[in-house]
Amino acid sequence: MNKKIKWSLIGTLLFSLVFGGIAIAQTKLVFPVHWTDYQLEGMYDEEENLVEKGLKQYVEEYMRLNPDIEIEIQSVAFEQYLQKILVAHMSGMSPDIFQIYALWGVSLVDSGVLDVPPADVIEDVRANYTPSAVIGTTIDGQIWGFPTEVDNYALVYNKELLGEAGFTEPPATWAELVEMAPKLTKYDAEGNITQYGFAFLSGWESAVVHPFLSLLWSNGGEFLSEDYKECLVNSEEGIGALEAELELFRKGGTDAAGSVWEFPNGTVAMMIMAPWYESSLKVGLQEKYEDVVGVAPIPILKEKVNAQYTWFACVGSGSKHKEEAWDFLRWFCSEVQPATNTTRQGDLMAGNVGALPPRKIDMENQETLGDLYTQTFIEELEYARSEPNIFQGAEIKIILMNEIVKTWNAQKTAKQALDDAVKQINEILAEFY
Amino acid sequence: MVKKQVRRRKRRKSKQALIGYLFLSPVFLFYSIFLVFPISFSLYLSFHRWNMLTPPLKARYVAVKHFTYLLVQDETFLIVLKNTLFYALGTVFIGMILALIVALAFSRTKYSSIWRFVYFAPVVTPPVAIGMIWGYLYRPTDGLINTVLRWFHLPGQQWLSSPAQALPSIMITGIWAGVGFTMLIFIAGLKGIPEMYYDAARIDGANFWQGFWHITLPLLKPTILFVLVTGMIGAWQVFDLVFMMSSGGIDTGVVPFESVGVVALHMYQTAFRYMRMGRASAMAFILFLVVLAFTLIELRVLHRGGVESY
Repeated sequence: MNKKIKWSLIGTLLFSLVFGGIAIAQTKLVFPVHWTDYQLEGMYDEEENLVEKGLKQYVEEYMRLNPDIEIEIQSVAFEQYLQKILVAHMSGMSPDIFQIYALWGVSLVDSGVLDVPPADVIEDVRANYTPSAVIGTTIDGQIWGFPTEVDNYALVYNKELLGEAGFTEPPATWAELVEMAPKLTKYDAEGNITQYGFAFLSGWESAVVHPFLSLLWSNGGEFLSEDYKECLVNSEEGIGALEAELELFRKGGTDAAGSVWEFPNGTVAMMIMAPWYESSLKVGLQEKYEDVVGVAPIPILKEKVNAQYTWFACVGSGSKHKEEAWDFLRWFCSEVQPATNTTRQGDLMAGNVGALPPRKIDMENQETLGDLYTQTFIEELEYARSEPNIFQGAEIKIILMNEIVKTWNAQKTAKQALDDAVKQINEILAEFY
Repeated sequence: MVKKQVRRRKRRKSKQALIGYLFLSPVFLFYSIFLVFPISFSLYLSFHRWNMLTPPLKARYVAVKHFTYLLVQDETFLIVLKNTLFYALGTVFIGMILALIVALAFSRTKYSSIWRFVYFAPVVTPPVAIGMIWGYLYRPTDGLINTVLRWFHLPGQQWLSSPAQALPSIMITGIWAGVGFTMLIFIAGLKGIPEMYYDAARIDGANFWQGFWHITLPLLKPTILFVLVTGMIGAWQVFDLVFMMSSGGIDTGVVPFESVGVVALHMYQTAFRYMRMGRASAMAFILFLVVLAFTLIELRVLHRGGVESY
């Protein structure tokens, strides 16, 4: 054989052995997440300088420190995340690390999809996270992972639009909101709304149901009985809460076409929103962000309450690398960085994602949590109430969402809608409780 | 001697048959894996309760409970079945009429290949892209359609944000997306009608409409049957357009699910959001039976006709 060809072949073989060997020796962890591109890739300024790290930068840092570990981040849309887990589990190719919404946890735990955390992780969560986050991560009396974000709701408003209409303060009560919203609503010559005094968050079940639950609890009502056997939203307090929402429609302060995603365009004056919208507002409003955005507690009916939900990071029971997966989560969620006295996961949540990091040390030390957007959400956590983790939680909330939306579109009265919702929800509860 | 020859002939035929089956075996294997097994598994699931998180063979047997629940108790399923029927009839019949008009027009115009390209372009565009673009066109505040309406001092509509207009809006998009394909089928069908029939009719004094009613339509029956059958099968299974244009995709406001939901979307939601795979499988079989019934009716009504019959 020609010497050149022989040495080329030897070189190729050696190259394959070396890099193939490295690939074989590397442990690969698969980590699907539901975040947007800048939450994954990081936030950059106009000169392409990295301003805020995304998950990718943290993962790369971990891989540099642990060359035998490869972590593959999979970006999955929020609406498809649960399907991704189900299909992957069914096909035997379950990801190693999940970042799941606590409501999904009940069914996943019942079916053995999640790995029981090591004892040190459980102790760490119990000792170092806020009580509401620990409750959110607890299913059947067991903690199932590191709480990664806690979300509640507040009133986000456009300071400029309120100022133009002569308002110096945002509404503190729901009655004030109902009075202000029509005065902030503008129409064109054909009677179409060009500026919304208020827009409801919509498009998925939590978006519609969580603000309603805030009003329900504020009005003294309950969602479910303590034993989860009965739905109670059609009580007098529940009907009153939904009627309060419908007042906005009747008085011309909003309609079903209103979209909160138009807020950065300056065509929505007020909305009830969660902390994770911060980065989108900063990207959408750019230098106008601080002049435009104001945040205040949700206008109350009777008591100060806002709904809260939790996400947590956990390891799949089907993972072939559980130990390595928990090691990564300890480094990311639990290890405190000496320079900032915060965790990396806390930095990502507070600085980029805009969600509230539920670890106590992050709550105390994250500088960005004191900013104009997040501070109110942190203060309102004191009055936050966690949604219940129940079987078929998504189905129950979708039923409630559909009925509420029918009232928004004047297809049913509040009583009809909530009675119908209770009938359907009680059938589901009877199956599982 | 004769018996030996007969036996030899039989052995040769069996050998030839075996070789034939061997050549067909890759196809049989393909269809077994990707057709027979999934359908059988789906049929099994439709009689069981399964959430995809436990082994399927441990799923609880519930007999026909899913079927009775869907047909008797589940109001949402009956409503989405009605929505899908409305969508299928609307898009197929209106689309067919429009496609026939366009196909007839192309037979009389110059540069028909350019027009064919223009009308066929939506057919080769991914439905997800179509859904996204039309979602923006339909936006009540700043969408292009309402902007044009306002230029002519006409009131803007709510389109996808209105319970009454949401499904018809999606149907308009579905018709626009599909008319090109149907048009091509009709062009092929029209080319198959011998010109001599039209010549004879002209000689007898027939005008265009008489030619159309008495020659074109009857001889186009096989083409119409093909378009109807394939169009209805596709329309009954619509998912991507509705998913993209309702709250499952773009946030253009919000309408109740029953205003815009179709069977495939309800099936998807039941399987992957509610984790009720058994019930979703039962829905799939009910849909199959409905589509089969429609197909048989179409075949019965339109089975005669075409050039060969005359």
